[in-house]
Amino acid sequence: MASLVYTPVHDIPQIREHLRASFRRGRTDSVAYRKEQLLQLAYLFQDNVPRFQKALLADLGRPKIETNLFDLSIIISECMYAYKNIESWTKPEKVPFNINWFAFSPKVYKEPKGTVLIITPFNFPLYCLAPLTGAIAAGCAAVVKPSELTPATSALLTELFPKYLDNDLYRVVNGAVEETTKLLELQWDHILYTGGGRVGRVVATAAAIHLTPVTLELGGKCPAVVDSNADFDMAAKRILWGKMTNAGQTCVAPDYVLVPHHVQSKLVEAFKEHWFTFYGSDSHTSDSFSRICSENHWDRISGMLKNTQGDVILGGEMSKEDKFIAPTVVTNVSFTDSLMKEEIFGPVLPIISVPDVDSALDYINSHDHPLALYAFSNDAKVCDYVRKRTLSGSFLANDLLLQANVSAVPFGGVGGSGYGSHKGKFSFDMFTHQRPVLRSPKWIDLLMSIRYPPYTDKSLKRANQAAMPKIPYPRPGESDSVNWMRWSVAAFTVVLVVANRHRVLDVIRASRQ
Amino acid sequence: MASLVYTPVHDLPQIREHLRASFRRGKTDSVAYRKEQLLQLAYLFQDNIPRFQEALLADLRRPKIETNLFDLSIIINECMYAYKNIESWTKPEKVPFSIDWFAFSPKVYKEPKGTVLIITPFNFPLYCLAPLTGAIAAGCAAVVKPSELTPVTSALLTELFPKYLDNDLYRIVNGAVEETTKLLELQWDHILYTGGGRVGRLIAKAAATHLTPVTLELGGKSPAVVDANADFDMAAKRILWAKMINAGQVCVAPDYVLVPRHVQSKLVDAFKKHWFAFYGPDPHTSDSFSRICSESHWDRISGMLKNTQGNVILGGEMSKEDKYISPTVVTHVSFTDSLMKEQAQNPLEIFGPVLPIVSVPDIDSALEYINSHDHPLALYAFSNDANVCDYVRKRTLSGAFVANDLLFQGIVSAAPFGGVGGSGYGVHKGKFSFDTFTHQRPVLRSPKWIDLLMSIRYPPYTDKNLKKANQAAMPKIPYPRPGEGDSVNWMRWSVAVFTVLLVVANRTRVLDAIRA
Repeated sequence: MASLVYTPVHDIPQIREHLRASFRRGRTDSVAYRKEQLLQLAYLFQDNVPRFQKALLADLGRPKIETNLFDLSIIISECMYAYKNIESWTKPEKVPFNINWFAFSPKVYKEPKGTVLIITPFNFPLYCLAPLTGAIAAGCAAVVKPSELTPATSALLTELFPKYLDNDLYRVVNGAVEETTKLLELQWDHILYTGGGRVGRVVATAAAIHLTPVTLELGGKCPAVVDSNADFDMAAKRILWGKMTNAGQTCVAPDYVLVPHHVQSKLVEAFKEHWFTFYGSDSHTSDSFSRICSENHWDRISGMLKNTQGDVILGGEMSKEDKFIAPTVVTNVSFTDSLMKEEIFGPVLPIISVPDVDSALDYINSHDHPLALYAFSNDAKVCDYVRKRTLSGSFLANDLLLQANVSAVPFGGVGGSGYGSHKGKFSFDMFTHQRPVLRSPKWIDLLMSIRYPPYTDKSLKRANQAAMPKIPYPRPGESDSVNWMRWSVAAFTVVLVVANRHRVLDVIRASRQ
Repeated sequence: MASLVYTPVHDLPQIREHLRASFRRGKTDSVAYRKEQLLQLAYLFQDNIPRFQEALLADLRRPKIETNLFDLSIIINECMYAYKNIESWTKPEKVPFSIDWFAFSPKVYKEPKGTVLIITPFNFPLYCLAPLTGAIAAGCAAVVKPSELTPVTSALLTELFPKYLDNDLYRIVNGAVEETTKLLELQWDHILYTGGGRVGRLIAKAAATHLTPVTLELGGKSPAVVDANADFDMAAKRILWAKMINAGQVCVAPDYVLVPRHVQSKLVDAFKKHWFAFYGPDPHTSDSFSRICSESHWDRISGMLKNTQGNVILGGEMSKEDKYISPTVVTHVSFTDSLMKEQAQNPLEIFGPVLPIVSVPDIDSALEYINSHDHPLALYAFSNDANVCDYVRKRTLSGAFVANDLLFQGIVSAAPFGGVGGSGYGVHKGKFSFDTFTHQRPVLRSPKWIDLLMSIRYPPYTDKNLKKANQAAMPKIPYPRPGEGDSVNWMRWSVAVFTVLLVVANRTRVLDAIRA
């Protein structure tokens, strides 16, 4: 496997200039061209399924099936989704008829923003590349900066990009802090960053200098709230799966569990049962569990785990040599515990018992809005209650992670978990400028002559009356006098007709003859 | 008329806390409540038309009819548009059916982002307040910071807001640099800023520290391109109108005109004709023309005008005393003129009643000039040939594009209003304002039986499951590779043709079978 070569820093401005020049030549104008590139991107992944599985096994010790379900199948689906829908997305949108503006036949054209930058993280290098489908569909040129923490995968992408995609418009740039800093010094027409809040702030600050719009896909501590009326077996099975996929290095993984005191033991029993089913007696030898991406991250997570005051009831083994941290469940964790200070982003699941669901919500609402919020209950009303009383990037009842599979809903955070969204048309919209286009006829001045100076008293009068929008609703608190009027007139007419029905019939008969 | 009192700086954090606490109590959850506030906002303006006209006359000496057409009528329309459409905007959106996700019955809920900040400029204090309708409709709490350069209008808004709107959720904060700096230190759930690029950068930077999403409505030098085949009389009349409204202090005003050399004189003659018709021989005494908002802006614009190397053919009078600059047209302006200059790649918007006419060899050289600068907020093209207008549109990028007219993009509530590149990002108006202040939250509900179909997701991962994942669960690409023949379609056609042949050859037997 080729090792990862960083892009020379002094080449980076030239790469951007090259892409920008190709973009200006208008090659991406044609929808047929964009479809070809989307299809090529899909084939890039489909043709190399085993190689990507091996690369992520090398980088993260990740089981092949996870690469399949969370990376490959999603990016191929996204390519196909964009390929199928691009005609309707790119078509200029007609604006609903309105007497105020129909004369200008307004339409909204979908223009590519230009040359964009997409920075992806180590945890799901292909899933997080899915917004590229939106950039291609929108007609943008794009530089992709994959993570230096997954060298085998990034090297594979670097090898395959020029083989499948138009090298004049889509490029991979590799590197770490120095290269990223250089990238951020340059002007881009949009930047999409997926990663942590600290770097997110750096990206947004750098973008501010160039007035560049930014999308930040961050993470945060995503809670899973388990109600006393939940199916504990199902909840534990799904939470354990959602947490331990990719060794917990998932932005929408459940970070911690909140459960009422009196049912905690039931949930814990279910966790134990599924833990042994999933990983057997020695999770270190399991083929179904990943490793931590870097020593730094291993240090961070193991530090949190070592300092916990809770009870480690499952897992807890750590070995720095192979960056292993066992799938770990910790109970009796307090809100001030080391595991509750920042996002864990590793295979350690703290369970916090609370008096009731309301105190769980109070805790959640006194912190940053998480990227995802999960609620487990057999009572749909409880799930709905949790949804209504909170805000989060997304909300799932009785399951986890699956929001990422739905191309037709936006994927993105709110508050501390970032802003902007991607997937399907939302990725397309991110890289598109919606440009209103109006065409004015000459005759419009027959209707709108009052716009021109000199302004006379007569034209002011007209402007204050005819041209001023009326409010067709009564003031709040006042009775709906207009409706009363209407009803009275209607009732009066009916009474009149009924009283004079003979005459009315006579008139109708007469008119027929 | 009350004078403008700045909000004490130390009150600002408390104001935000108060709004945030009210928002958390869930008062804005009800759509009926939001509708009531939208209606109240509409009545705030409709009940006080003469007072707003007087206020803007005092602040900018703006003709009443302009206040009517560009401020009042638009904000009232936007209130009504939101009022009428709020039910459909706030309704959770169903997601189109797909075999991949129907089991989770996904919906997208429209949640208010929270407590937001709206900073408006001096030039159209009410038009630029229109996004507040989106914040109200979305269910957000909002602080509005109007401009200190229109003290009378800002004081009037400050007086009327608590009379019409819920003071626990919608507040006016007044002030200049110090107060704005304090506001930007605080965390907001969205910031919408309308103004210039320099302050826009400061706002985006301040917002970055709090991970706050920002909408920047900036300006830029919006060009008007006049083709050799244009209706010069109509073009000159409309361009002059759009440039001189509010004394040129309009973010979508045409900043300069590009016209092919050989027709320039025709356009200039038309400008002369309409200039006199609009303002008479002495525009200083005209009631149809505004003043510059502040002395520093007057200094800036008059400086640009004094240094021009072009020919001032109309107007050119200036008087600092009443912040007057006459409606001015300058010809023979070069791209390096003081009226066209750049500062560190940033074109300096004139934002005043001075219209430079730059003659070019042809439309293509006009487009080259435009494309070598920041994308403007608006681009205008004048031609009787729709193909020429379309050509200009296709070869450029701008916030909005209007053929044969100007400014009207501002009245279409159903189209997004916003810039691109140097003219900002994010959009407002109608549903776009609502979307700006809304978090689109996907909500999925998973049934228990889904694990019957999706059991392969759970460890231990077996070879059998991996095989299933590599085959059944892997999306197929139902299209041939680019460049390859569509073999699937060929196959289908061959099968179809073969079947037809078979049926025809055996038609008697087939008929017999049917009869039997």
